[in-house]
Amino acid sequence: MNSGPSPSHDRGRQSGHAAFRWYARAAAALICLAAACASQDDVPPLEQRAQALNRTIMCPVCPGESLDQSQHVLASQMRAVVDEKLAEGRSDESIREFFVERYGPSVLMEPPGRGATALVWIVPPLGAVAAAAGLFLVLRSMRRAGPAAPNRSPANPLSDRERESYFRRIESAMADPGRDERG
Amino acid sequence: MVEIGQVSLVIAALVAAYAALASFLGAGLRMTDLSTSGRYAAYSLPLLLAAPTVSLVNAFVGRDFSVRYVAENSNLAMPNAYTWVAMYAGNAGSLLFLALVLAVTSAIALRGLSRRMPHTTAYASGILMLALTFFMVIILGFANPLERLPITPADGQGINPLLVHFGMFIHPPVQMTGLVMVSVPFSIAMGAMMAGRGGRDEWVDQGRLWGMITWLVLTVGLMLGAWWAYTILGWGGYWAWDPVENSALMPWLAMTAFVHSIMVQKRRGMFRMWNIVLIITAFTLAQMGMFINRGGPVPSVHSFAQSSMGWLFLSFMTFTLLASLAAFWWRAGTLKSREGLDSILSRESVFLTQNVLFLAVALVTLWGTVFPIFSEAAQDETVTVGAPFFNRVNGPLILTLVVLMGVGPLLPWRRASRANVVNALKYPVAAGVAAAAVLMLLGIGRPVAVTAFSVCAMVVTGILSEWVRGTMSRRRSGEPTPLAFGRLLLRNRPRYGGYVVHLAIVMLAVGAIGSSFYSVQRDMVLRPGDTGNLDGYSFRYLGVEKTFFADRVEEVAELVVYSGGSRLGTMRPFRAFYPDFRIASTRGAIRSTPAEDFYIVPSEFDEDGRAVFRVLVNPLVWWMWASGPLLFVGVVFGLWPQRRPAAETLTARALAQAARA
Repeated sequence: MNSGPSPSHDRGRQSGHAAFRWYARAAAALICLAAACASQDDVPPLEQRAQALNRTIMCPVCPGESLDQSQHVLASQMRAVVDEKLAEGRSDESIREFFVERYGPSVLMEPPGRGATALVWIVPPLGAVAAAAGLFLVLRSMRRAGPAAPNRSPANPLSDRERESYFRRIESAMADPGRDERG
Repeated sequence: MVEIGQVSLVIAALVAAYAALASFLGAGLRMTDLSTSGRYAAYSLPLLLAAPTVSLVNAFVGRDFSVRYVAENSNLAMPNAYTWVAMYAGNAGSLLFLALVLAVTSAIALRGLSRRMPHTTAYASGILMLALTFFMVIILGFANPLERLPITPADGQGINPLLVHFGMFIHPPVQMTGLVMVSVPFSIAMGAMMAGRGGRDEWVDQGRLWGMITWLVLTVGLMLGAWWAYTILGWGGYWAWDPVENSALMPWLAMTAFVHSIMVQKRRGMFRMWNIVLIITAFTLAQMGMFINRGGPVPSVHSFAQSSMGWLFLSFMTFTLLASLAAFWWRAGTLKSREGLDSILSRESVFLTQNVLFLAVALVTLWGTVFPIFSEAAQDETVTVGAPFFNRVNGPLILTLVVLMGVGPLLPWRRASRANVVNALKYPVAAGVAAAAVLMLLGIGRPVAVTAFSVCAMVVTGILSEWVRGTMSRRRSGEPTPLAFGRLLLRNRPRYGGYVVHLAIVMLAVGAIGSSFYSVQRDMVLRPGDTGNLDGYSFRYLGVEKTFFADRVEEVAELVVYSGGSRLGTMRPFRAFYPDFRIASTRGAIRSTPAEDFYIVPSEFDEDGRAVFRVLVNPLVWWMWASGPLLFVGVVFGLWPQRRPAAETLTARALAQAARA
């Protein structure tokens, strides 16, 4: 054994330093990116509420667009109504109700959880539970089918046919030893 | 020129019908000559369909308004460049484009197949040509793009202004190609099954190749669409779970499940039935996509080609679904797995779980998309199922998928011991926890988003630790680090290509999480000279320049933007109003950095000089667009043909070494 620092050890330490510097740089970059998510939050709370609300109300005349998205004149008028009512101190729910009374329930982006429409909410979780149960049962039955299929006990690791084919392959590999180096 | 195209269309329809009939009959009656003649007929179709395509494009470029479709989808004011691509602005032309793409991809795929699997090829050619015949019947019977008008109008009607954008050159063709290409892996899988060879796994390599290519095209199509929406729709977002977006996403989800599950069949001879089910699902959903896009049963912001042909697509979809299921029923006996599952704790079972989750997301999306139709029919009540529903229901499913993306590749095939699992997951889980802690310390504490970011950190660490581990073990056998790393990647391309794609997906996820949870938005009213502030940026509105064109009024705003006291430059977002369509098309000005996008778009200019701007700071969106090229590289790397020692040879070598020892 060599007591002094061996060249390979030294190289290892140097590459260790380099790696550390590299990690530090990567971490710093990641933190800078993360910091972009830390907003300085200069949007007034009422406006934030208005934005959230606008995203849950449809523009009745624009196909598939919320108040927040739409460029339509009606949408901008409705946005103004939302702002007005929020300034009056009304609750989000009562503002949504106001629009439902005027334009019907389809004005809500999120279907209400009442009546037959509740089905839209109930089916996905039920389906998920059914799928999970089905998956579990399938996996279990596949596993049960598994060990029975190939006849492999420790005493007889290969079937006769398998052994024969292995021997054939060994022979061909030995006849052409460079074969798998060309890849 | 138009007449040549029309004649060629009719010939193409007849040839496609012959090709379908001859292929199926030849396959069923075992008359090889007949099925071969069907395939050769298929080879002629790209040319036969190129002729009408060229004559349609020619009519657009030459502004020949005597052709009805040209008159309806272009006008004299249209910029010249757009006349080259206006053919897919409407219905009839899109159908011709779809038919051409189907003909070309079919010919390429059949040529590759015929050398390897003659029996499968006959059925595959029958399926592809049947689909093409369907397109041809619609084109000739219901939507002929080359039909002449009795009187030639002086000018055309023009196209939807939202389509006049650079995205028009790339997104629609890629998206349509992706949707129609799903038929290729479908025909390969179904062809092999119908030929009674589904249990032999010889179709798997071709099925995987075409499955991956289709997946790549669909992915690129979706990303280009999202990018286009981000720059033009003027609200600062890129995905709104709109019906048309959903209809493009659903086949993508099913294809994603398929390209994973097919690997299990390749490696382990399992999931033979399941893969058929997946590809049938993908094919059905792709047709569903075309139905929703063409038929427009649900209102969408992206319905540019409304028509009454939805029922045709729906009927054909029902027919192919029933026929596929019947064929599946008939041949199910040939699809028994070669091996069973050794353990529930294995890569195989993660693959299956992942498949089920992908299908779950697809089905939830389908459910939400078509629910309004059912609701209206059943209870006569119109409801909307919008973004909040999909975010709430699909969000957790997608997050679970990302977790599995981190776990699956780290587990071994067949059977994982507890020690394997602990060993594989300790660094990734530690990194995930550390990431969560750091984010909390930085004060970025939204629980859902922090969880999602920490899952991303876990996945990345898992992948990188695999790379480091592989490189280290090669280095130990004396290779220098760069060489060891390069060889590691090159020696198992499907695997490392897959890792690169996974990294790209994490980048996509990071962008989506950052921009959906931490975006800051304000609508501001500014007069010339006013300065606004948002999240560290300040911007002075200088004024607006109004220009009148034949078909539109363009208002270009000029703003000087500063960040942290330094001048970033001048930004010129604009708004164009098209009086004929009563549509305003906006173009946001975006200053993009990896950390965040500063996005500003005008929504109104008043006569008294006031202007309303929507201003957003969207963190991390850059990573979504940057993930595209990486994903492309990963897929191509994974598919690049590789001459490598077959598994048997390796086993033989190992046995030979054992014998020598």
